[in-house]
Amino acid sequence: MAYRLHNDSIKLIGFKKIEIPQPERGEFEDHYFGNHAEWKKMDSTYYDPSTGTIRIYFPVEAALVEHNGRLIEANHLGELDMEQVDSDPTRLLRTEKGNYPLRRQTGSKFGHLREENSKIVAMPKRKLGALEKVDADLPNLQHKIRRDPTSYTEDFRAQYYQYENHREIFMAAPTSATDTGILSLRDLIDFVSHVADCYPEISKSFPQELIDILTLHHTILEPELREKIVGSLVLLRKKNIIDSTTLLQTFFPVLTSTPSKNLRTLLFGKILSDLRTSNSKATNHKLNRTIQTVLYNLLTGDRTSSKGLWAVKLTRELWRRQLWTDAKTVEIMKEAALAENEKVIVGGVRFFLGGDKEREEFEEDSSDDDGIDVSKIRHQVGINKKRKKASKALSKATTAVKRKEKKRNQPHPLNFSALHLLHDPQGFAEVLFSKHLQNPKSRLNLEQKLLVLQLVSRLIGLHKLTVLSFYSYFLKYLTPRQPSVTTFLACLAQSVHSLVPPDILESLIQKIANEFVSEAAAAEVASSGLNAIREICVRQPLAMNDTLLQDLVMYKKSKDKGVMMAAKGLLGLYREVGADMLKKRDRGKEAALGLRSGQRKQQVFGDIPAGEIEGLDLLEKWKKEERQRKRLEKGLPEERSDNEGEEQEEGEEEEEEEWGAWDIEADISDDSGGWIDVESDKEIEISDEDEESVEKKRVKLDVDLENKENDAPNTTETKPSNLATTRILTPADFAKLQELRAQAAVNLHLQKKGHKIHHPTAQSIPLTNSHRHMDDPLTAAEIEGLASLSKGRTSREEKIAAQDEYKTDRAEHKSKAARKKERKTDEGKSTTNKEKARKKNFLMTLGKAKQKGKRSLVETRKVLKAHSERGKRGGKRGNR
Amino acid sequence: MGSSAKKKREKKKDFQKPKLKVGKARPKAANHTETSFRSKAIVLNQQSLHIEAPSTVCQFGHHLSLLSSRADAQRRDSLAYLTSFVTSRPVDSSLPQPLSTVLPKIFPLILDGSNGVRQQTLRLLRALPRSEMSDHVAEILPYIRAGMTHLAADIRLFSVEVLAWSTDIASDEVVSCAGGWVKTLNCFLTLLGWHNQDSAKWSTNRVSFGKAGSEGKAQSRNLQVLADFLKAGFSTGSDLSETDDNLESRFPFPRWHPEQHGLPTRSNAYGYLNLFGPPKDDDTDMLEDREDRIRVFKERFASSMEAGLASARKDAGEVGRATGLVTKALKDTEAG
Repeated sequence: MAYRLHNDSIKLIGFKKIEIPQPERGEFEDHYFGNHAEWKKMDSTYYDPSTGTIRIYFPVEAALVEHNGRLIEANHLGELDMEQVDSDPTRLLRTEKGNYPLRRQTGSKFGHLREENSKIVAMPKRKLGALEKVDADLPNLQHKIRRDPTSYTEDFRAQYYQYENHREIFMAAPTSATDTGILSLRDLIDFVSHVADCYPEISKSFPQELIDILTLHHTILEPELREKIVGSLVLLRKKNIIDSTTLLQTFFPVLTSTPSKNLRTLLFGKILSDLRTSNSKATNHKLNRTIQTVLYNLLTGDRTSSKGLWAVKLTRELWRRQLWTDAKTVEIMKEAALAENEKVIVGGVRFFLGGDKEREEFEEDSSDDDGIDVSKIRHQVGINKKRKKASKALSKATTAVKRKEKKRNQPHPLNFSALHLLHDPQGFAEVLFSKHLQNPKSRLNLEQKLLVLQLVSRLIGLHKLTVLSFYSYFLKYLTPRQPSVTTFLACLAQSVHSLVPPDILESLIQKIANEFVSEAAAAEVASSGLNAIREICVRQPLAMNDTLLQDLVMYKKSKDKGVMMAAKGLLGLYREVGADMLKKRDRGKEAALGLRSGQRKQQVFGDIPAGEIEGLDLLEKWKKEERQRKRLEKGLPEERSDNEGEEQEEGEEEEEEEWGAWDIEADISDDSGGWIDVESDKEIEISDEDEESVEKKRVKLDVDLENKENDAPNTTETKPSNLATTRILTPADFAKLQELRAQAAVNLHLQKKGHKIHHPTAQSIPLTNSHRHMDDPLTAAEIEGLASLSKGRTSREEKIAAQDEYKTDRAEHKSKAARKKERKTDEGKSTTNKEKARKKNFLMTLGKAKQKGKRSLVETRKVLKAHSERGKRGGKRGNR
Repeated sequence: MGSSAKKKREKKKDFQKPKLKVGKARPKAANHTETSFRSKAIVLNQQSLHIEAPSTVCQFGHHLSLLSSRADAQRRDSLAYLTSFVTSRPVDSSLPQPLSTVLPKIFPLILDGSNGVRQQTLRLLRALPRSEMSDHVAEILPYIRAGMTHLAADIRLFSVEVLAWSTDIASDEVVSCAGGWVKTLNCFLTLLGWHNQDSAKWSTNRVSFGKAGSEGKAQSRNLQVLADFLKAGFSTGSDLSETDDNLESRFPFPRWHPEQHGLPTRSNAYGYLNLFGPPKDDDTDMLEDREDRIRVFKERFASSMEAGLASARKDAGEVGRATGLVTKALKDTEAG
């Protein structure tokens, strides 16, 4: 009963044979032939009168058929795939050794079926899927492999051989490689790399082969294939088949040697992203070290080549993202700065000058880019229909915000700036100077030289290095005609520090004064010269002699505002640091008084004041006040206590409180008390004979101290605070310190506003200097400073341009109502009735007005009545 | 109504006539498109204006270049032209272009998607001079192997045909070139689905990838070709020994080992030294000796081959008969 139709499936149909018992057969036959039409309706039954059996047909659900030694499973209708039985249903029954072709049913509903009662009927059923029509469908195979790798091992093996042969063809003639047939090497590489993780044994040589192709033939590879290979290698990395080191060591040589710009960008991106991902969870020190060594060798291997630029680019990018923050990174950049290729040098130098700022900016950018508004999301969840998705989004947002908050509260990672991480700044500065600046063979142009100069001067200023020949280098350049002379001046000032011998600087200052500051020189020139001198003298006040100073201070009478301000700046500086060099009438009241009382002393070269924490005295004072306040709260006398046991108790209590408040978060409010501070002054210690406990002594001492303070406030001022040397300051203390410092700065400003100020610039100098951090560079703009004031009257255009700077984005001036209306129309909202009435065409209103006049008395009454009625109701829609 | 006047004005603007002025360039339309371009050089291809028809040599080259055309029909026709050219050229005249430039263009067509092209390719290969072809068998083998593992069943079948042809014309070179023995046998195992003993046991693991062709018929053909291939591999290089005898007889006693001092009779005689190619591994090794081949076969293929044969023998009919051929080839080895 097996036959084939035009479709590709076979249906397995089984039947059950029921033998009618001999005595009942006649009765059954009577019924069967008598009601033949009825029986015919049940078309799956058949009665055979000769044997007296009735057969019932049914499809064999999920039958397992053995064919050609294979087991084939039928579907729930008992259908078999024609392809699987080799398109030959007749052969399905042909078996060896008398095996039953029908092994068993997977569903096993009907038990075992015997061979004699199973027949095969072909039925037209199955349609060909769209994908199966395609000849070579690798994506389909890939999909199948993904779902069940073990079953498709052979298929993969075949495709792997296919790939190997294509590769062989390609390697035989890489240049003339054409698209061979329907499958290209590219497709095969794609396929194999996607499923390689399922068959590590078969495809173990695959990564190495790809690496070989890329490294050997990257110059002649066709771009698409090249990209595919790069992508596949990255994919293999993601699947952990190869490690990052292998990947990067493959990519990096190609990156530096390929002539193709596209490939370079691709590789650079891939290298960067791989480094980022491998450092994302925890810093991968091993990998970082390997890559850093590679970069270092690249730079030091061939100093003249421009390949080092890639090392610079990569390092800078990783520095910016704070993946690399160690000294080795800085070492790489140091090598870059000492290279012989201009581009590499500039790359390295720029890194030192701007890398850290870039890093900070990037961090700020990345921290505030994702502004998730949790309250908004929560609000939306409250309003909208409750969905799982929405609640998920809400929880996600809250966790994100929490994580961000946590991150913000974490102690800031100590990221030292590149300049601080240098191992040997003295050597570096000397080599940079001699190699790029002093060396007559150096091929850098002025701009590049200036960059190097900035770096050297910053190094010298920051680390207080001594490079004596550096200062005389400037002599040549200190003329007003020198291009970008302000940068030179700024560099010179930047490189000065308190350990530079004043006699070296003296000649430089003299030169600046001679060249720049004269009546004949232009006002801008003079003001920048004066500014430069001031900046130098801020750092080394001893470099000035009194005749020159008195000469320069005379420029405070200059007509030009810029020059005048600059001269006053210098004057203000020397009132503080060396008032005796000024003429008597220039010294000012404070300085003169100080000199007379002998408080102000002449500074000596090489004298370094003892370092202290800025604002520590403020902290100390605050603590004292706080303690007093607490005592008052407890009802104790402010100053002295008699009950010492109580004192001790209190002291211990406070101590505990202090250590409890180690975290800043716990101590945000001002209430948590300060530390009890002890001035371990010898004199007082001797007078204090109570040795019972430290705590007691502490309190006692403070009291004594305060008494003493009240007597002679001047003496305590001079005494250096030793809070920091006697106590461990908690983070809470530092937070308070910061706060107090800020407050002091604000107070200073306020005071200034309140006072009548005679010399604003003079007062602002120390302030600006205290605000400037050691790491911040001195720029040419600061030297030029007030030069803009020296320019003559501004032209009309300049005035307009200056005005435009402050312009807001409002297009035109309009009334509030008009703007509101505009906004309404922009939002697509309609007008009110009032507006409509106002806008109504005059001619249209005429008719009504005319009618109004023609109304009869009755009509008028009606209208008036209605009007008054409406008024009582409270308007048309009033409360009835 | 105030806005309507404004709208009217705006509408009017669209239909305003541009003012034309004497002596001024005509204003550009709003939808004007710039079509001018700048170029360093403009090359005008000369039309070919020949009166006489192109020479046959020229046409040969032309059709050769058309083999990489996109259109199936074009490729097929060009192949047909080349075939007729090769067959109809006078005896003893060489081809217009050397085989080494012609063949790299023909070989990729073994993997062509269109059946007509493939058949025509085989026809052309058959038409090419046999003696010269044997030197290029090493180049065609990667294509054949790629075909044998192709996803498309038709291409698999076809490449087995090509392998049969190449075994026929140059049996020694096929089995002794680099990778010719090991890799091709590997492909056979994959093709027959006998790759390891496990897969031989489970018949469902048999290659069923891609679109099924007439698999049953193919299986017997595959086995036949495998038998031929094995026979070629296990036979001693008969030609060589014959020539040796000749040489020995031609150059008697005083000269020893004349075959080693004379000029080599084959191309790439020192290929086994692998002076210029990529480094060889086990798979790509050249197995020039019959003993080597037998050794490798026994080490790597014998067990899976036997298991596969055992299961294939159970398939009656043509497949069973073809299995017999392979078994015979294997038995001969053991005997000889």
